[in-house]
Amino acid sequence: MGIFKKKNLTVIAFFMAFVLSACEKDVIPTYGVNPVSVEDESLLKFKKKTPKQYISILYTDLFKEAISVNKLASTERVIESVGDKALVHEIIVSNYMNHPDVTIPADTFMRNNLDTFISLTYRKFYLRQPSQIERSFFKEYISNNPNVTVELVYVAFAASDEYQFY
Amino acid sequence: MKRREFIKKASLTAAGSIAFPYILPSGRLFAQTGTELAGHVVYVLFAGGVRHQESIGQLYLSGSQDSNVGGNVMYNMLNGAPPDRKIVYGTTPAGEPQGSQPIPQLLGSTIQSQGTTFQEVRAVNGGHYGGLTSLITGNRATAQGLRVRPNYPTVFEYLRKHRGFATTDAWFVGNGIGNSVPLLNSSEHPEYGLNYGANFVAPLITFGGEGRDILANAKVYHPQEELEPIYKMKHFLDNSFRIRQGDIEGIRNTEEEKINIKAFFRDIFNRGGSTASPPVADNGDLRTVGYAAEVLKWFKPKLMVVNLHAVDSCHSNFTSYLRSLHRADHAVGWLWNYIQNNIPEMANNTIMIATPECGRNENPNPIQDENDWFAYDHSGDLNTQRVFTQMVGKNVPQNLVVGSESNPIGTSVDNVLTIADIFGVKDQVNAAGFIDNSARSLFDRI
Repeated sequence: MGIFKKKNLTVIAFFMAFVLSACEKDVIPTYGVNPVSVEDESLLKFKKKTPKQYISILYTDLFKEAISVNKLASTERVIESVGDKALVHEIIVSNYMNHPDVTIPADTFMRNNLDTFISLTYRKFYLRQPSQIERSFFKEYISNNPNVTVELVYVAFAASDEYQFY
Repeated sequence: MKRREFIKKASLTAAGSIAFPYILPSGRLFAQTGTELAGHVVYVLFAGGVRHQESIGQLYLSGSQDSNVGGNVMYNMLNGAPPDRKIVYGTTPAGEPQGSQPIPQLLGSTIQSQGTTFQEVRAVNGGHYGGLTSLITGNRATAQGLRVRPNYPTVFEYLRKHRGFATTDAWFVGNGIGNSVPLLNSSEHPEYGLNYGANFVAPLITFGGEGRDILANAKVYHPQEELEPIYKMKHFLDNSFRIRQGDIEGIRNTEEEKINIKAFFRDIFNRGGSTASPPVADNGDLRTVGYAAEVLKWFKPKLMVVNLHAVDSCHSNFTSYLRSLHRADHAVGWLWNYIQNNIPEMANNTIMIATPECGRNENPNPIQDENDWFAYDHSGDLNTQRVFTQMVGKNVPQNLVVGSESNPIGTSVDNVLTIADIFGVKDQVNAAGFIDNSARSLFDRI
């Protein structure tokens, strides 16, 4: 009898050990937010264009053809001959705008297709899409200012800081 | 008003105008400590390497060639009779020998008679860029590299920071874009730098064939209807793209200043060849000075620095050097005359200073020109250190010669402090600690 009892106890002990080892502690899931930069990666242009790069790209953007080597060299010299680079860039852009071969969309296209125009302009000058804030600004500004033309928008982009970087 | 009351009020007003501090555009509170000696300074870098013997020494050929012909080829700046033989430095009338017609004297009274001449000054640097840098920073520039901006603040930055001058109040008119000249309008010093730099223009390029082709056809946008929207959009774009200060190279004018500069460019292009020019304008220095006069007339800047360089042909052609030296004198005389006769706001309220950046060697190199005259380099011997300085204008003692060969007075690093002295900020500029220890205002050396 005693032996039986001892045997039963052993079985019970094994059984309990088995049962207990099969239990797992509940894992309570925790949720959080990984640190993610909200800065638009496309704005991270940190290399300054050389005068040669600036003029080559500008010329191609406005005339849809490459600038000649001679014209590029003389333009570079003229830029170097003026201390205020932003100023001389503005003059060069407005000089190009006065050229009959400059290729820019019509003002009616801009006003009738504002969203498309804004996207295309950002793509052309900055090689990226506009952010929502940028899109909203230009939509509102162009809509509220009937004297704003494609040319003025292009001059602003071509003279902007971001256009000088890549 | 009673006499006692008048004296009291007048004294208080005078004291207030001297001692009352005002806030500079940089936001600093500043009280001008010195008295302003003149409202404008025109600083001529009489550069290219000018040998003492042919310039202020008036030795013509007798100090350099196997010839005993002496004389003064700079008779607008210096008292003294011109050479009476072997005239090669003038213009060339049809059928006459090259350079045989000296350019007529422009000034009734020489710069020497009208002002103060330091006839034996020491240049602290024997090269062009180092010499120019010394003239414009007041520092010896011993560690100055080429194709980089000056290591120490320039005179433009001192004046713009300590006197609050606008960008268009400070101009550097260069003879070209070689030899790092376009970099002299500002240092990159962290305490000064491009925010205080001067406008730079190399007019022979900006307004020459290349500039005309690239800039002259620029549209003139209406300030309110067109420029305003352009700048509004540009500001929005620039605010979206934040860059570090200094990433955009070059100095910056305000929008109003830019509009004014564009109008100036337009005016020059519209006038074609009818811009101001000395009677003889057959080299780059003379044409540069003509455009410098246009800058003066349009902007009436507080400080304009103009750089000459044609005499550097002396490396290979002594005859050409003499011609250029004669023309540099013509340029300086004409510019001084132009200021007095054509810019009423600056006449009698301007001081002009002229100094070569370095001299040239005592002994020639082996190169001979068409007259078999030997050429001279500037490789740093003692003769290279021999230069001169002239000052003329408001509050400058007249007909005064200071120093001699045996008693040199003044160095090429004195000029920045002198200009600071003229504008009443000598102490502030000195206190900044970047001027050479040996530098003194030339007014203190008289």
